[in-house]
Amino acid sequence: MNASRFWNWFVYPGALWIALLFAVPLFLVLALSFGHVDDLGRGVYGFQLTNYADVFNATYVPVLLRSVGYALITVILCLGIGYPAAYFIARFGGKYRYALVAALVIPFFVNYLVRTYAWVALLADEGLINNAIVDLGLTQAPIQMINTPFAVIGGLVYGYIIFMILPLYVSIERMDPSIVEAGKDLYGSPFQTFIHVTLPATQPGILAGSVLVFLPTVGDFVSAQLLGGPDTYMVGNLIQDQFFAASDWPFGSALTVVMMLFLAVWMVLYLRRATRGEAEVL
Amino acid sequence: MPVGRVGWRTRFEGTGGASVSDLKLNRKQLFAAGAGLALAGYGISGCTVERPLDRSAAGDIVEPKIDGDLLIFNWAQYMDPALKKEFGEKYGVKVSEVNFDNLEAMVTKLRAGGKYDLIFPSSEYVKRLKNEQLIRQFDRAEVPNAATLSPYYDSPWYDPNSEFSLPYAYYTTGIAWRTDQVTGMTESWNDMSNESAFGRIFMLDDFQEGIGQANLINGFYLNTEKSDELEVSKETLLEQKKGLRGFSTNTAQNLVSGAAAITQAWNGDVVNARNQVDDPSMFAYETCKEGVPVGTDSMAIPITAKSPGTALLFMNWMLKPENAFRNVMWNGYPQPVAGGREAFAKLVKDDPSIDVNLDELSNTSMEFRLENPDARREWTRLWTEVKA
Repeated sequence: MNASRFWNWFVYPGALWIALLFAVPLFLVLALSFGHVDDLGRGVYGFQLTNYADVFNATYVPVLLRSVGYALITVILCLGIGYPAAYFIARFGGKYRYALVAALVIPFFVNYLVRTYAWVALLADEGLINNAIVDLGLTQAPIQMINTPFAVIGGLVYGYIIFMILPLYVSIERMDPSIVEAGKDLYGSPFQTFIHVTLPATQPGILAGSVLVFLPTVGDFVSAQLLGGPDTYMVGNLIQDQFFAASDWPFGSALTVVMMLFLAVWMVLYLRRATRGEAEVL
Repeated sequence: MPVGRVGWRTRFEGTGGASVSDLKLNRKQLFAAGAGLALAGYGISGCTVERPLDRSAAGDIVEPKIDGDLLIFNWAQYMDPALKKEFGEKYGVKVSEVNFDNLEAMVTKLRAGGKYDLIFPSSEYVKRLKNEQLIRQFDRAEVPNAATLSPYYDSPWYDPNSEFSLPYAYYTTGIAWRTDQVTGMTESWNDMSNESAFGRIFMLDDFQEGIGQANLINGFYLNTEKSDELEVSKETLLEQKKGLRGFSTNTAQNLVSGAAAITQAWNGDVVNARNQVDDPSMFAYETCKEGVPVGTDSMAIPITAKSPGTALLFMNWMLKPENAFRNVMWNGYPQPVAGGREAFAKLVKDDPSIDVNLDELSNTSMEFRLENPDARREWTRLWTEVKA
């Protein structure tokens, strides 16, 4: 047995793991999406398209648009907040660079759900922020912050911003600083240099970060459930309710499949773009 | 070597990374994969999602004896924690509790094989779980403290001869509000869109309670199955939604935290909220003239229970007069047993609005029950559309 054959064996445990815990469940979701609910309210596998017909009911279009809208706003805010942070750490962090990255990552060791509950405690009518501004006399009555779209988007930004900062950090750190100097030597103003040199050079990071934030955000349900109101219902909430409140697993599965296909389109576009980018570099 | 594999390899080595175009399958392989998936789909069609539960215990009568630690599956803030602790100390077992926030979720987890020892289903859920052989039978004579239960519960409609369930609490659904912030309450379900509380109103996140009150506003039967009536109630709900701050069953918490000025509520939750503040008069509760939904939450032992005997002893423990008294004072819900009745009478003396007339319970038209599966689907779908 040669060395490479030996090392190939290490692929199998991982492949088995993926097959059992990813491919099989995914297939079951797909199969169930063609099923129906029996008289006891249990999902039964089958071959019918009614669930898909129900997905394209006009009632659910606003939910899908809202989810995509929230996700896009979240991506833009993450980029706006994350880029300067990543830039600062990568270019000016010096010997503290790794400590700063660690400081960013550590809060994310705490479960997303728990961190979102912390936001509930902060934003509630009688929460920390409202108590502070009322005590300071800035307002008479507390301002409603929780149960609003702002709170939901805020929760999403906080929940997923690390997936923006890390790829940005990597691409900014990898960028050769001499190309920025070259831009300046060519009499580019700091702004022009940023637009024409830094931004294109860090584009892979921007793209990767945007996709990494966008994909989980569209399907998120925690933020809308804990921080949202009656008008912040997202696709994730819709799907979750089918499984736990409405006992309609087949419909929930059809919604899941449609959402996955929708997200897969974006993923494929990104991968195409990324591979082309790689080819250009080579 | 198959063509596809060569494709994989060369590309892998060529670019140093996988890409979408690497997944080159020829037509034959694609067809085979599709056929395989379809065949597997055919193989499982007709099967239910949950693996079949072990129902071998279905015919056996549960014996009241300590047979292990107790895991309770209940609504949050529905049981005095001290009673659990004392039971554990007396019998030398560990008593733990986990919570659900709606009954469908409870059933879903049960069907998935969740090993809970004691659950708290409402009347129609007792019947459904019994039909599905998901709860266990016991001999009521083995529960001595059940002797003082109100006669209605000797043989209720959902459990003839009371062999599968014992009542834990009964309740009405009405509206609770902050007396210092809300004016113009009229003992009507229309108060769910009271203008002085616009934007700070909560509706119970329960499809039957939500649709039910809309049916009552429109003068329909609480459990109507007529599609045209349900359409009208949907419009009512969409109109009410404009003034809502959310859908939630955490009523006491919403009242105490100040998030809710008005909330659809079960009668005991307002007592629970009062127990948590200095000035209990800040919360009031009303039942509505269009109709008062009533119901019973029961105790039952799932088929998957690991310690059914301990669970039966615990049921007896909760029905013991002094324990019933303490539990009612704690959670605010009437319990139809000696001790529970006295405690609730004490609470009602301070606030007659929370009272429940037991006669209303025999009027089953005011209890939620959707036994027709198609109607049930129509209701849950309508609720999804309202929330969307």
